[in-house]
Amino acid sequence: MNDRPVPDTVDLTNCDREPIHIPGAIQPHGVLIAFAEDSFQTVSVSSNLPQFAPFRPDDVLGGSLADVFDAGSTARLRELLGEPGVSVGSPIAMRFARGVDAEFMGLIHRNEGLTFIELEIPEKDLADSHAFFGRTSGAIKRLQAAKTLDDACAAAAREVRRITGFDRVKVYRFAADFSGQVIAEDRIEAVESFLGLHFPPSDIPVQARKLYALNPLRIIPDINYLPAPILPNLNPRTGRPIDLSLAVLRSVSPIHLEYMRNIGMRGTMSISIMRGDRLWGLIACHNREPRHVGPDARQASELVAQVLAWQIGVMEEETVTRQTLKGKAIQRSLISDIEQLHDHRAGLVRNSEALLELMGASGLCLHSQEGIMTLGTTPSEAEIESLVNLVGGTDDAELFQTDRLSAILPEAAAYTYVASGVLAVPLSRSPPRRVMLWFRPEVAQTVYWAGNPDKPVIAGQGELRLSPRKSFASWTEETRGRAIPWQSHEIAAAVEIRDLVIDVILRNTEKLERVNTQLARSNEELEAFAHVASHDIKEPLRHIEAFAGMLGESIRPIGDERLRNLVSGIESSSRRLRNLINDLAEFSQVGQQAKPFAPASLQEIAQEVVADLHQRIDEAAATVEIDALPIVSCDRNQMRQVLQNLVSNAIKYRHPARPCRIRIFASAWHEEEYRGDGTRASATRICVSDNGIGFDPKYAEQIFEPFQRLHGPDEYEGSGIGLAICRKIVQRHGGSVGVETVPGIGSTFWFTLAKPAENNSLAADRRST
Amino acid sequence: MSMHRDNTVPTVLVAEDHNYDKMILKEVFSRAGITADLHFVGDGEQMLDYLYRRGNFAEELSAPTPALILLDLNMPRLDGRKVIHILRADETLRHLPVIALSTSESQKHITEAYSIGINAYLVKPANIPDYVAKITSLWQFWMVTASLPVVETSLS
Repeated sequence: MNDRPVPDTVDLTNCDREPIHIPGAIQPHGVLIAFAEDSFQTVSVSSNLPQFAPFRPDDVLGGSLADVFDAGSTARLRELLGEPGVSVGSPIAMRFARGVDAEFMGLIHRNEGLTFIELEIPEKDLADSHAFFGRTSGAIKRLQAAKTLDDACAAAAREVRRITGFDRVKVYRFAADFSGQVIAEDRIEAVESFLGLHFPPSDIPVQARKLYALNPLRIIPDINYLPAPILPNLNPRTGRPIDLSLAVLRSVSPIHLEYMRNIGMRGTMSISIMRGDRLWGLIACHNREPRHVGPDARQASELVAQVLAWQIGVMEEETVTRQTLKGKAIQRSLISDIEQLHDHRAGLVRNSEALLELMGASGLCLHSQEGIMTLGTTPSEAEIESLVNLVGGTDDAELFQTDRLSAILPEAAAYTYVASGVLAVPLSRSPPRRVMLWFRPEVAQTVYWAGNPDKPVIAGQGELRLSPRKSFASWTEETRGRAIPWQSHEIAAAVEIRDLVIDVILRNTEKLERVNTQLARSNEELEAFAHVASHDIKEPLRHIEAFAGMLGESIRPIGDERLRNLVSGIESSSRRLRNLINDLAEFSQVGQQAKPFAPASLQEIAQEVVADLHQRIDEAAATVEIDALPIVSCDRNQMRQVLQNLVSNAIKYRHPARPCRIRIFASAWHEEEYRGDGTRASATRICVSDNGIGFDPKYAEQIFEPFQRLHGPDEYEGSGIGLAICRKIVQRHGGSVGVETVPGIGSTFWFTLAKPAENNSLAADRRST
Repeated sequence: MSMHRDNTVPTVLVAEDHNYDKMILKEVFSRAGITADLHFVGDGEQMLDYLYRRGNFAEELSAPTPALILLDLNMPRLDGRKVIHILRADETLRHLPVIALSTSESQKHITEAYSIGINAYLVKPANIPDYVAKITSLWQFWMVTASLPVVETSLS
């Protein structure tokens, strides 16, 4: 069997509707008197009063308690009630006004405007408070010596059995669904062991759990007792039946008694183990024979349960604290790594082992529009996508968690060994959605149930009322597709890691925006500066040229060669400076004069360039061959500028010993470029190759930098801005530039451009043929 | 050399803010062999003062009516373009031929200059022989080839 189906609705949850807090009766081993505290008048009394003292209920009802108990007891009672903080089960010794000499053990509590006193016959050694404290403090010391939770629970079971003498004392722990497991046990050989067994949630129904939380101790000395009604069963303050939630003598549900009979027990007692307001578990005591445990032993047992609860708290908190400290350390490491690596993903990768260990997870996925990043063992990308859809579709925008994914997402049954447990923490509520997913594998567990948990009840013959189950024969179940549930401290850690990552992403985004703004501004400033500078520098330069010119003319009649050289030095330097300024201005204008892209035929552009340069081509006796070139989306003027620069260069740097041959062609080699949006765009590569002088390839990068030259100004003219402009233009088109060159053989300069739609390139092919 | 239509020396008003440009222009006129009465003003305000004979030019003799105005478009304070607007709006002055002298070869600047009523646009050459050649042909056109209006301003 793969998994347990959802249990039938017909089960002991019928008990959920049973009003067990107002049974209108008590167990007969004690007497209950309810009274109004202001008047001390008796409001209700249990019918078994005459079995304890020579009073009939009618004698007592409506009368003063001072007439029922002796003066000393009444005074003590008044004093006790006057004390602040009289809580449930405050003990008091009481003596009746007449008839019996014995002292009774009284327990006081208040509920719904009434005050209750419950009287029981005390244990024989009541007076021996030394023995009591000795016994109790010994138990507590032994309990406190326990190092682990299991040890503490085992010690508690042992001590409670030592105090009370029950046949079996077990520590029962509730799971999140309120099914329970016996995690510790102390017993006599003769009774069967329940240790390790699981019990379905319906065995202890919801309103019983509620009473257990209110009133920490229940005792049924003999399940075959005859209930003693309380008379009258009416609370004058509320007009409703008297609420016995807090009464230790409260008569219990017949269903519960039947349940006890079915497990073969006659005397029982149970004590709640509370963690704050939460019912953590129970110390449950069973006896094959009737067994009454007196108030002292009960109190001692309660103390043991409280110490156990306290110890559990300390141990759980220690675990959480340890985890929290570990979490903080990992977070610090994560932050410093992210800062160092400038990337939250890289930071997560570097800390993956520690993070997964902290979370008790086997895999992590960061899912966003930019893609999926996974660490450890995770489902496939397609599986993650459908999982993210599921998570995104749930109403709870904050968190999604499951320890049994396949129950929600049937297809996940195929990968239970990777992700049975999923904890999804969204990084953003609004789109674009980002989510962190933690994964846990299936833990195949074998659960031993005390009886078939799906058949917890047996319908009574022809009756509507259900009877509790009769079979507690161990019933084995193997659970599949289930992971260890996410603990609250783990969820808290996941949220903290999420917050940290969000913080980093936000900070990075802000930083990026800031840098972008700065960059855009400094680019604008630079271009504006270059433009203005070129303009303003030109002014004095023009003056220098003019004065040098005039000076040159003035000294010509003198015929002094040396003076002429000096003046022509000024003139040629001014000319070079002018060219530099013009180039710089042109370079700075690339961004400013940019036009939007439109499809244009590179072939036409190349033909125009060749036509423009025909004079220089003729002078150099060069041949320029233009192959079929595609249509590309570009700024036509700029593309023309690029080809013009490249062809001009090819002419300029031709080899003196052979005729200059230049070829412009689209490379057959295609570059598959992976773009951010996930589509694959093909790029085309345009080449201008020559058989010129070439150069050392080590300068292949450098020559595209502004004002980088490989030759002196006397060898070749030019400021060295042409290729820088080419690169700037091509970069603006989203492409790249490069050169392959062999000194003395020639160079091939190339640039890449994204191809527009397919039909355009076909059109280009047709035109070229 | 007699390029003029009469014997009086024509007055040329030059609005030019830079001293070196003034020197160069004087030199160029001299090399071109042009006899002209060059009057320089440093900015648009001064040019208007000259034309309206006020301020430093209140005395009639100090500001003879120009036959031609050479105007640097980029001047401090009141720049050339604004001066043109004022001139062209004034009935007594709007007939005066104004030639722009500029370093800018920008098509935008040239078009703009003609559209605001400049009569001709000259890019200042950097080298002196070119400059001389340009000024010579300018002078030839405006003072010999073209017929100029004869309007005595009410102020003169």
